[in-house]
Amino acid sequence: MIELISVLIVGAILFGIGLYGALSQTNLVMIMMGVELMLGAGMLNLVALWRYLHPESYSLQVFVLVGMTVMALEAAVGFAIGTQRFRTKGSVEMEETSEMKE
Amino acid sequence: MITIRLIILIVLGLGAIWFGWRVFMTSSMVRSAFSLLANMAILGMMFLVMRAEFLAVLQIMMMATEMSIMAIFMMMYMMDPGGMGDMDMSHQKKTSIALALLAGVAVILIVGFSQWDAIAENVPTTAQQNYDLGMELMKRSMMIFETAGTSILVAMIAAAASALPFKNRKK
Repeated sequence: MIELISVLIVGAILFGIGLYGALSQTNLVMIMMGVELMLGAGMLNLVALWRYLHPESYSLQVFVLVGMTVMALEAAVGFAIGTQRFRTKGSVEMEETSEMKE
Repeated sequence: MITIRLIILIVLGLGAIWFGWRVFMTSSMVRSAFSLLANMAILGMMFLVMRAEFLAVLQIMMMATEMSIMAIFMMMYMMDPGGMGDMDMSHQKKTSIALALLAGVAVILIVGFSQWDAIAENVPTTAQQNYDLGMELMKRSMMIFETAGTSILVAMIAAAASALPFKNRKK
């Protein structure tokens, strides 16, 4: 039980750090890093729940694979948006994107 | 009961937290990318300790390539990738810290106060795990697996389309 709870607490702290990064950073790539940290924390929790509660069921491992897919997709689409933004505006600072509202 | 596995998990967990924290605390973007790589590699090691070998190897391989690409993008797009100018690239710090603490503490409380089922002592062998995961992906979870594959295809097309320069599209 201590092992499960320790790993889940590590996941919770990593999720908090990722949330802090995603909310506080102004650069697109740094925001993406925050999101990746949160997804990593989620995957850690899923593996811990699989190992300590249901090692006979593989649905949790499938969810980890889906989580890894989401990480890769987020990186690909995020970099594509960053590339376009850099081409048109010369920067990937997200504070400057408030002009899109106008 | 304190076991060697528990000690290793805690040490790796502290390492993961340390590198996760370093991602946002260093002014060098390349260091940020490599701190995240270290964080993800340590998560992979924790998967290994928890006997999920396939996922651990996948995690380490995927994240090594992804974070190396991220470091290259960092150097391409950042005004101060080396962090020599000490630029502050953050905003709404107090709100972010408050929300992050709230989320972290809420999850820790949920973990602490939940009634967990009995802990499983044994896990299937690696070969059996790989076989069972393959069967799961090809049988019960095939729809999820196929959806993930289709999403990758859509994201590849979307990424290529979004990254094309506007000038060429007008021609």
